[in-house]
Amino acid sequence: MKKLFITFFIFSSSYLFAETILLKGGLVHSGTGDVGKIQDVLISDRLIVNIGNNLVIDGNTKVIEVNGLPVTPGLISPMSNIGIVEINSLDVTRDDQSNILSAGFSIFNAFNPNSTLIPWNRSNGVTSAITSPSSSSFPIYGLASFFILDGNIEIKGIKDVAMFGGLGASYDSRAETISVLDSLLEIGKMTSTIPLTEILEMSLVDQLELQYQDIIALGKLVNEGLPFVLETNRAVDILQALAMKKKFNLNLVLASVEEAPMVLDQIKESNTPVIIDPMDNIPNSFDELGSSLELGKILDEAGIKIMFSTQRSHNYHLMRQGSGNAVAHGMSYETAIKGMSKTVAETFGLENRGSIEQGKLADIIIWDGDPLEPASFPKVLIIEGQIQDLTSRSTKLTERYTNKEDKPSSYKH
Amino acid sequence: MKKISFLLITLFAFIGCSESFDIDVSFGNKESINPGIDDAFFSTYKPMDSQPILFKSANIYDGIGGEFINYDLLISNGKILEIGKSLSAVGVLIIDSTNKWITPGIIDIHSHMGVYSAPGVSTSSDGNEATSPMTAEVWAEHSLWTQDPQFALALKGGVTAFHVLPGSANLFGGRGTTFKNVSQNTIQAMKFPGAPHSLKMACGENPKRVYGNRTQAPSTRMGNMAGYRSTWIDAVEYTDGMNEDNPDYRPIRNLAMDTLMGVLKGEILIQNHCYRAEEMAMMIEMSREFNYKITAFHHAVEAYKIADLLADEEICAALWADWWGFKHEAYDMVQANVAIVDQARNGSGCAIVHSDDPVGIQHLNQEAAKAMAAGNRAGFDISRAHAIRWITSNPAKAAGILDQTGSIEIGKDADLVLWTGNPFSIYSRAEKVLIDGAIAFDMINPEIQPITDFDLGIIKPIHNRVK
Repeated sequence: MKKLFITFFIFSSSYLFAETILLKGGLVHSGTGDVGKIQDVLISDRLIVNIGNNLVIDGNTKVIEVNGLPVTPGLISPMSNIGIVEINSLDVTRDDQSNILSAGFSIFNAFNPNSTLIPWNRSNGVTSAITSPSSSSFPIYGLASFFILDGNIEIKGIKDVAMFGGLGASYDSRAETISVLDSLLEIGKMTSTIPLTEILEMSLVDQLELQYQDIIALGKLVNEGLPFVLETNRAVDILQALAMKKKFNLNLVLASVEEAPMVLDQIKESNTPVIIDPMDNIPNSFDELGSSLELGKILDEAGIKIMFSTQRSHNYHLMRQGSGNAVAHGMSYETAIKGMSKTVAETFGLENRGSIEQGKLADIIIWDGDPLEPASFPKVLIIEGQIQDLTSRSTKLTERYTNKEDKPSSYKH
Repeated sequence: MKKISFLLITLFAFIGCSESFDIDVSFGNKESINPGIDDAFFSTYKPMDSQPILFKSANIYDGIGGEFINYDLLISNGKILEIGKSLSAVGVLIIDSTNKWITPGIIDIHSHMGVYSAPGVSTSSDGNEATSPMTAEVWAEHSLWTQDPQFALALKGGVTAFHVLPGSANLFGGRGTTFKNVSQNTIQAMKFPGAPHSLKMACGENPKRVYGNRTQAPSTRMGNMAGYRSTWIDAVEYTDGMNEDNPDYRPIRNLAMDTLMGVLKGEILIQNHCYRAEEMAMMIEMSREFNYKITAFHHAVEAYKIADLLADEEICAALWADWWGFKHEAYDMVQANVAIVDQARNGSGCAIVHSDDPVGIQHLNQEAAKAMAAGNRAGFDISRAHAIRWITSNPAKAAGILDQTGSIEIGKDADLVLWTGNPFSIYSRAEKVLIDGAIAFDMINPEIQPITDFDLGIIKPIHNRVK
């Protein structure tokens, strides 16, 4: 019976494309930073077509009574390994690092739409994600891409939306790292004036073991305003990063920034957005001595744009718990919601999504409770106007092992 | 002296006391766990100075299923004296607790604080004696750095006691020790008085990876089993030998064998890192083969697959709410794991939410909230009053300290957290944390917030590291 229903649901949902859906009477947190209010949201043909009260609908509209439950944009992870790492300890399931490429290492073609992380993170509220290469010993890790987490084999996403890198403690001096970073950016700058063939002949390029793809990517980084996500923590390293931003006119995004409160004015003046893990208050290294649970509050009060990462692999939805802790320590509630939606879209140039506003793609979640409470879950989750199935391997295993029928578990399905 | 003042308070200080009772308030128990063998390194813990406190109009989860709305709680001499309506007392500190919640102090059964201290640099990596798969002779407590800044952060999250284990590189990793979360600069002064040691054992991927990579045993799961069993055979022989009446026939003392003998005698508790269902079942079978008891499986991502077996064997499972995927044996995660273990055999299972992590330990209430919500979504009906046991009385039971702490019952240690709101909400914070009746952390009063030597003046001499 249950199975029939699910089959029917999946079958019908693939034909819902043109269906019009009204979310009636939800507490809408639009992701724009506005305070949540009770509103209707009308969705048609992938888009949010209207927001308001007592919206007029025709007889073919599917009405979902929200009854005051929270409604938010679909959450966007700004920093994940979704689709390119299945099991961390097994290299054969990982596609997040390259031995040959650096800046030009794009993970886009490695994305696996059948990864179990996709239904898992989706069912917990993450509808799309930036997937990035993992950190390496080189200061630039490579190119991140944006993916819609609908699990469709026809991958929907945007290739190479940002460059990722890092600056901080390592076995070599950070002065060397800064010097290498500067050289890389200089090479990127050259691509606008010097032919690639000539650049490839340069001894510096040889010395840094750069490939053709790396130089092209560095050019995009410096000359085309590609967002540059730089993980760094120590206060003075943040200043170094800001100096580089100024020198090369970079579209810089700072990540981690546990010592940001010491250089708050400089970050603010430079109008640089940040990605933080609000729960990481451990001085994990001597670069992070200033870490505290009040980071989110301090950045928010300074008016700095904030997004959220999480330390925990696989569970990118835990940015909800992270931002909830930031709110518990003084960040504004709407900054938290915005930080998981519109701020990410704005920062990475995802112009048509990330908020509940007329004309945006309808990535929307109805929650069974406050989305910042980690005990809350999505009730209805919509990606580009289509209601998504919330089954995951985890829910299947739960069903199997709470099924009390007296037969071997392998026959419970 | 202590006893006298205690009685004075019970006699004169308050009205409504229905029964008189007598509590031994001696601390720093020098009696060894294993007489004749563990006659050193005993606890020298002494509670901080405290005064009698009356919490007025609090909401209370007692940690063993009870919920008391708008009750008063009186503590004195480090002990819980009374829970009731309209209690009054003279000469006590009165704390208005209206709309606030009190729970037992949070206990983490799986921590590496102090042995993997922050910052996580090589010189602080003291948790795995990964030089041999059998290191039952090492004690995690001997690695402890008392100035680890993580202790104070955990305290801020309501943690009053924690069990420090060696890591999981080895089949037998060594002894674990339970500590009070107090700032002291000797290890012995932090040790929970009277708490038994544990022996850390580890199944699965970690030991076989660590030693397999060195082309030495074990490199397989069957190698793991052979390693445990041959060691237990030695331990049984050693124990029999030590039981000889004639000292001349007893074996030469051996530190590793002392630990294993402690397990066989029931004095040292097995805390067993194990993820997969069939491996846990094998460990249970092995415990029958050599006649010892497993106290808890740790991490146990697949505990839900054998929840009835765990309940039948009275073995606790110490679990995360949602960690998974970092290795193959952690792939079959379900969010309802804690709930399924808890609800097995009509709710007789022993589930624990543990951290194994310096961030997680600060938010165990949130982890319990996630686990409870997932369980209820899976069809169970688990109340908050019940779920709080996963981070209080159940870990106390698994650490062997339930007689002293882990629940709010008359006569127990006043290890308590006063929360700003319901502890299952992310917005609630530990406002006051009490250990043996002494306020060890006060969110409102910076004077009562510990700052370790490490934190002191480390960024700028005039500023301490964290608020």
